[in-house]
Amino acid sequence: MNDNASPAVRSFDAVELELLWRRLISLVDEAAAALVRTSFSTLVRESYDFSCVVTDAAGQSLVQATESIPSFIGTLPETVKHFLRFFPPETLEPGDVLITNDLWLGTGHLPDITVAKPIFRGGRLVAFSASTAHAPDIGGKIRSPEPREVFEEGLQIPPLKLMRAGVTDETLVAILRQNVRTPDQTLGDLWAQVVALDLMEERLHVLMEQAQLADLTDLAAEIHRRCEAAMRNAIAALPDGTYRSEIKTDGLMDTPITIRLALTVQGDSITADFTGTDAQVDRAINCALCYTYAMVMYGVKVCTSPGLPNNEGAWRPISIVAPAGCIVNPQFPSPGGSRMLIGHYLPMLVFGCLGQIVPDRVMAACGSPMWGMNQSGVNANGKPYANMFFFNGGMGGNVHGDGISCLSWPSNVSSTAVEISEHIAPLRFHHKRLRPDSGGPGRHRGGLGQEILIESRSETPIAVSFLAERTIFPAFGIEGGRDGAAGVLSINGDKVDPKRQYVLKAGDTISLGTPGGGGHGDPRDRPAAAIARDLGTGHVTDASAYRQGGIDTATSDSAMARR
Amino acid sequence: MAASLSLGIDIGGTFTDLVVLDPADGRAVIWKESTTPDDPSRGAITGLTRLLEKGGIAPGSIGRVVHATTLFTNALIERKGAATGLLTTDGFTDVLEIGRERKYELYDIFLEMPAPLVPRPWRRPARERLAQDGSIERPLDLDAALREVEALVADGVTSLAICFLHAYANPVHERMAAEAIAKRFPGLSISISSDLAPEIREYPRMVTTAANAYVRPIAETYLDTLEAALKRAGIPGGLFLMLSNGGLTHVAEAKRAPVQLLESGPAAGALAGAWFGRHAGLDRVLAFDMGGTTAKLALVDDGDPLVAWGFEAARTKRFLRGSGLPVQIATVELIEIGAGGGSIARRSDLGTLHVGPESAGAQPGPVCYRRGGSEPTVTDSDLALGYLNADFFLGGTMRIDAGAAGAALDGLAGTLGLDATRGAFGIHDVVNENMAGAARVAIAERGRVPQDYALLATGGAAPVHAWHVGRKLGVTRVVCPPGAGAGSTIGMLMAPARIDRVASFNTRLADAEWQEVARIFSALEADAMAVVGETGADIARRDIRRLADMRYVGQGSEITVALPETLTPEDVLTAFEAAYRRLFGRTPPGAAAQFVALRLALSAPMPGSGGTLRLDGLGGGTTALKGKREVHFPDAGGAVTTPVYDRYALPVGTRLEGPAVFEENESTFIVGPDARIEVLADGSILAERAV
Repeated sequence: MNDNASPAVRSFDAVELELLWRRLISLVDEAAAALVRTSFSTLVRESYDFSCVVTDAAGQSLVQATESIPSFIGTLPETVKHFLRFFPPETLEPGDVLITNDLWLGTGHLPDITVAKPIFRGGRLVAFSASTAHAPDIGGKIRSPEPREVFEEGLQIPPLKLMRAGVTDETLVAILRQNVRTPDQTLGDLWAQVVALDLMEERLHVLMEQAQLADLTDLAAEIHRRCEAAMRNAIAALPDGTYRSEIKTDGLMDTPITIRLALTVQGDSITADFTGTDAQVDRAINCALCYTYAMVMYGVKVCTSPGLPNNEGAWRPISIVAPAGCIVNPQFPSPGGSRMLIGHYLPMLVFGCLGQIVPDRVMAACGSPMWGMNQSGVNANGKPYANMFFFNGGMGGNVHGDGISCLSWPSNVSSTAVEISEHIAPLRFHHKRLRPDSGGPGRHRGGLGQEILIESRSETPIAVSFLAERTIFPAFGIEGGRDGAAGVLSINGDKVDPKRQYVLKAGDTISLGTPGGGGHGDPRDRPAAAIARDLGTGHVTDASAYRQGGIDTATSDSAMARR
Repeated sequence: MAASLSLGIDIGGTFTDLVVLDPADGRAVIWKESTTPDDPSRGAITGLTRLLEKGGIAPGSIGRVVHATTLFTNALIERKGAATGLLTTDGFTDVLEIGRERKYELYDIFLEMPAPLVPRPWRRPARERLAQDGSIERPLDLDAALREVEALVADGVTSLAICFLHAYANPVHERMAAEAIAKRFPGLSISISSDLAPEIREYPRMVTTAANAYVRPIAETYLDTLEAALKRAGIPGGLFLMLSNGGLTHVAEAKRAPVQLLESGPAAGALAGAWFGRHAGLDRVLAFDMGGTTAKLALVDDGDPLVAWGFEAARTKRFLRGSGLPVQIATVELIEIGAGGGSIARRSDLGTLHVGPESAGAQPGPVCYRRGGSEPTVTDSDLALGYLNADFFLGGTMRIDAGAAGAALDGLAGTLGLDATRGAFGIHDVVNENMAGAARVAIAERGRVPQDYALLATGGAAPVHAWHVGRKLGVTRVVCPPGAGAGSTIGMLMAPARIDRVASFNTRLADAEWQEVARIFSALEADAMAVVGETGADIARRDIRRLADMRYVGQGSEITVALPETLTPEDVLTAFEAAYRRLFGRTPPGAAAQFVALRLALSAPMPGSGGTLRLDGLGGGTTALKGKREVHFPDAGGAVTTPVYDRYALPVGTRLEGPAVFEENESTFIVGPDARIEVLADGSILAERAV
């Protein structure tokens, strides 16, 4: 690498910076659009379960695709930095494409495959284009909390070169194909990711040519400096102090899991300390540190600076302490396929802390983590199949209004149309409807969950497993609001343990009730008109919680213990 | 006298544009009238009277009337539609409210989702069930359905949507229900999903059906009123409606399915772009319209605006994808950007220069309007840069204050550490980048490159910005048609009659029964012909396109493929792969292709469309040069003394060199240095950049 260039620091005025920034955003969004349209994975296509970024030569991100879900905040550039440790710049050449799905170096579970391409100008490494996307399948056990070790969860790809100077490593491709259930689709998506990398590279070259940029160092520094300053200003406006909050999750059903967060605001920086959180478990709900980081960042951003672009500068003021071996920093070989069963609670914990100082910027707990139902079996033609369907609960109420019913949060995963589901799986949906009374009462009540009744129509047995939380500890209300309804899961009318796998025969039915969101504010303060409206629509059928003095105001033990 | 003239009426939110065209010699007269929101037909008739007076035209000579309106879209946006009920499969009455379960804004926990068009108490269950192949699993309980509807009617519901699960595969239950309900409740307006959008996915299909039901009673009343008013005004010609797909239909079809008219105004604009583009000899046009608050872009290939097979109506947040209602109706594809003359320039939280999407609109408007606006806008910067003329704003009818604009611009430049000119051009440049960026992504999504397109500028602000937007995109040709304000009305008069029909067809390519495909296409064609044939279009010159929504098995989104003449598995696969490759660069190895739906687009030219155009009052003068002024062109190093021409006086065939400014009442066309300029036969100005 040639290091004797870059004589003077290039400066950018307010116009030039805006123009270059816009073009960078536009180029990652263009790549994202191409990836979405070519992808086989429903999660990528319909739920934007992917990300595209451009980083500088050191792996520091400049821009991230606008619609990527929060899971990837900061993870992708971190993976690029890991790549650089395995492949220092002198070992990289134009046309290389690096790949990994390592649970700890990547995003916390194996289906997310990350690829990155070094970009050279005048013989110098100047940037990386990188992309993470959720593969249609990665082999191993069907996604559920069941696996005890990462080895059960599918194929692990250490940091490798998928392409070397434009030439594909066919050995790696052959191993990949052999280890996944859907080789054409998994590989199809991988090539879609490579197309996105090429597109970002090509557009970046044009931009650098037109703007006469020899490298991205000065531009990155300027972008990072401004975003860091904006984030620090937002944090500095908060009162200093350490704010604590804890949350109990269903965990392994017989053993709840407690996550503890002490969030310290000191001047213009934040430290999120998970010391005291329960240990990792031998189930796939462990939440790797990269995912923990993304979820904490998401929570902080929502409360402090929702409009700030996602890049290195914005993340610098925030650091995380999580003891090795706790469930938010699990160690090898812990499994993590269902990491969101812990991870999706983390932004709520951040709200629990920051809500003590900026109560108007948070909401009551949501009926998340999202629910999922995985089923696998053999179809009428004798071919094995597997599908995952997602269902969302209600959002928490907030200072401005009621929580929204059935909305994905903090992730953004849509539910599959019933008509599509019935085409791709031997199932009959008897209903999929709002769950009355599931929204936690409050001046602003929680959003409703939904109830779904599904019958197996398969001649052959179907194995089902679930992603389901808040069946024991419901979404809590805040500011005097009440809890939402807990989730319920039953098979043939009998309540079952959602963390286990079941086998269905034809005619068996599954009933899911996703949790409602918590309420915000004392329900007795809810305007009569709003109560009447809810009774009229049937969103609420039992208004007893709203009657003046009619209820016991003691908080339930499931409510978050805030100190 | 023969009724040979065509009349176009485009009713927008603020103005109603009218045009009369004589197809024989291309003579066109235009008029602008204020819209009368309480009864839009009143403003239209007032405008019509004045237009006929201005042109010395007898009402009896008008052979046809073409109409576009934003009335139905506005009813949807403002939620001022009919009291609408929904009858749907038992167990699924909340589909409209549950929606897609996705946020349109990731970091805003206070976001608001669009309210369902039908409130929960009016969403009633029908005891029936079809399986995914359309077979009947539970027969429809008609009596129970009638009881539900009876309750709705008693509750004041005047319009009913019927949408059953898997009805795209078999309409039998929906039709049985509709028939029985119509018989029992003859006054109730009924819309059924298998008629309107027979496509898989219950949420968008239900939204489309409900949206149709929601606007249908308004459409019925309004169209009757307008038709009667035109008759009273002495106009013998029939009334035709502009559809969102860029084609025309007759009143009966518009009343049956008014959801097809939601985007009729913008579609007319795109058609105008297509028409002027064709006349300038351009195959590929990027129609660029920029007004006070928004800019719209539409791609036109080979003379036809690109049509998408669905769009999002009535967004909660105008520029945010996912915040609206998905409507499964063929619609001219438009990219909307929050960029207009009124867009406000501000210092962003990050210290950079932001422009839009917040707009000062017309009230308070730009600072130079002196109506209370204090933040500098795009128009203020255009004025400071010499692109606009303070003494000839809106043809000299409006006084504006360049001094006030300059002071506001200086203030903003100061907070950004920029000198005044850099600040002013920065605003122009940033808003141009916003538009060019959106265009780049949209063009790339369709597998095209911007360099292949010519930019066609309409609307008040587009001609001011087109030259520099074109530079950013690498576009070499920019066209500015005459009468920027009346463009869309002229587009309507050039529109063919067109009907798009779709049928669900969920089959692997390898398993497709080709006789079945042929049968579906002839049914779609018969259905489309029945409507088009009634419009008086020239059926002999009809154009039929057979298309299919296809994907690789396992993918969840489809692409629409134009099918070859002969339908063999090999030819269809080749067409699909070619389309796929154009969009995405490569095809996945080893994947099998499948159909999802079959589509048919039938269009036929209307008598009196096509031909030439000669706008009244254009090209008459001899002294087109009005004077010179200083105009900012950064390529030329700053302010350049630039000739200013009177657009109306420029004779056809005039050739000039840039830089140049062309002034007309509604807008100003700016052309930079290094340009060759020509005035075309229809009065359009073509500016070509030397490469």
